[in-house]
Amino acid sequence: MSELTDRARRRARGVARRARDRYQAPHAIEARLRALEEEAQEARQLQRRVAELTDVVTELLIPIHLRDDARVEEVLERYRSRL
Amino acid sequence: MSVSVDDVGLTVTGAADEPLLVSFDGAYVWSTTPARDGVRQLPGRIQVGWPDVLAPYLDGRSRVQVTRTDGTVLHDAEVALGAGHGRISVVDGQGHPLSVDKVGHLARAFADTSEVVREEILAGTGRVLEDLRGPGGVEAYLNYGALLGAIRDGRMLGHDTDTDVCYLSAHGDPVDVIRESYRVERVMRDRGWDVLRMSGGDFKILLPLSDGRNCHIDVFVAFHAAGRFFQLGNRSGQLERSAILPVSTVSLHGHDFPAPADPEAMLAFVYGPGWRTPDPSFKYADPPAGIRRLDGWLRGFRSDMPAWSEHHAAHRGRPETPSEFGQVVAARLAPEVPVVDLGAGRGRDALHFARRGHEVRAYDFSRPAVAQVRRRAERAGLPVTAERLLLDELRFVAAIGGQLARSAPELYSRQLLGCLTPHARAHLWRLARMATVAGGAFHLEYAATGPGPLPSPGPGGLVRRLDPDLVAREIAASGGVVDDQQLLATGEDPRVARLQVRWPRAVPDLSDLEEEIHVRAH
Repeated sequence: MSELTDRARRRARGVARRARDRYQAPHAIEARLRALEEEAQEARQLQRRVAELTDVVTELLIPIHLRDDARVEEVLERYRSRL
Repeated sequence: MSVSVDDVGLTVTGAADEPLLVSFDGAYVWSTTPARDGVRQLPGRIQVGWPDVLAPYLDGRSRVQVTRTDGTVLHDAEVALGAGHGRISVVDGQGHPLSVDKVGHLARAFADTSEVVREEILAGTGRVLEDLRGPGGVEAYLNYGALLGAIRDGRMLGHDTDTDVCYLSAHGDPVDVIRESYRVERVMRDRGWDVLRMSGGDFKILLPLSDGRNCHIDVFVAFHAAGRFFQLGNRSGQLERSAILPVSTVSLHGHDFPAPADPEAMLAFVYGPGWRTPDPSFKYADPPAGIRRLDGWLRGFRSDMPAWSEHHAAHRGRPETPSEFGQVVAARLAPEVPVVDLGAGRGRDALHFARRGHEVRAYDFSRPAVAQVRRRAERAGLPVTAERLLLDELRFVAAIGGQLARSAPELYSRQLLGCLTPHARAHLWRLARMATVAGGAFHLEYAATGPGPLPSPGPGGLVRRLDPDLVAREIAASGGVVDDQQLLATGEDPRVARLQVRWPRAVPDLSDLEEEIHVRAH
């Protein structure tokens, strides 16, 4: 009798858990999708930031390395004036 | 099909799946496909509301005509809208007729453009394409409405409002596509063009016309990435490189232009399989996944710019007095120290500093604001240099920060902080740190949050209140030290924070290091 009751209880718990999962799963998946979309967007935004950084470095670094102050001034001014 | 017209818009009874053209007193203003744009009310009846951009004009009387594209008249009657006084006139400041374009903006259609001006636009578009293909070194081609007009009958579309050109990038990674766009922009500026960057992948060439307007020629990048073809504005899908290169030639009003290798394939990609049938009410149906990608890769640094430019343009010429904070800071600055006003707006405080004998550099990200500061300073004969600064873009921050460091200025900003994204605020602290490396402080005021409800601190929800603790943490994280902070109510805002910040030199600069090495060596 008690074995039957235990089995019935286990079965009832299983049904309840599956019902709860069925109810919660879509919400959890929606939340995860939203989070993933936000994270994907954050990663995409790095493309422009890396482009800006690379542009600044490649346009301005060489004259600075040459330690040519007049050229640095000229390059900086030209870079800024064409933004 | 029958059509009635009232304050709400058009009500169409019967089959409503074809484009309708609407004109006021004979001037074309708008087109719509009711089944797509409208709301179904009763079986067989659809209502299409007036576009928002037309709303400010819809007060008065007009003979409203609604026709099919073949000219069949569906409605032709005198209508009173709003209070119904006077004639409705949808025109710009110079009286040029305007119509709603395919992206919902009011613009001037070619049908209402003189032959002389049309020739100027076509010749200008040709020069832009030559410069892009020559010194710009990119595979540029005519596209969108101008290409469609050229292929249909060699003429501009009557309801089109501008010309667009594209180039196929040599690159497949967005980061390289953006760098290439920066390079091409520099070439175009060197060629003397007035350029306005819109995203990491497109910019506008502002072509001045003899009727006083500027024609906007969009220069859009196209590229293959992630297994898809992307073409700005927002197009994405499948189109082979061989449909674009090598370019062919099309003719528009007798002008030859480079065009995609297979113009029909490009037009089908852009406008869909029905591109041969005229549809002035056409709207793009771009895949949302493609828009998300393009937004993430290329956009997000100028979201509030149109609203600010509109605000400054609307307040053009309106007299302004110096702000309370501007006067407070001006009173404590050493004489003759150079001042940098960050987020200067139309220059109310920048001009005040200049009047007190300071040499002033004024920065703002809005072109109309910068233009007004220049005009006002020139008129008053004041030493103010006004330039654009986009704090969301590292290129501006690095180049301007480096330049300012040489003059050891005092930095000033009022109401700027609350306009910025967190990313732009981080750039502001970086810029301030660079600019004050040889001395000087940053004096700033912003609208602060408080315990109770407080009014919105700026025009049109463009300025947000900030938590002083958050600002303090950001400054500390950037290496800044707050010399002085006050939270107070002023005549202009019930709760502002006023700060003076310095960035002590934590790391010796190169010259210090060299000296140290020199001393050690001897």
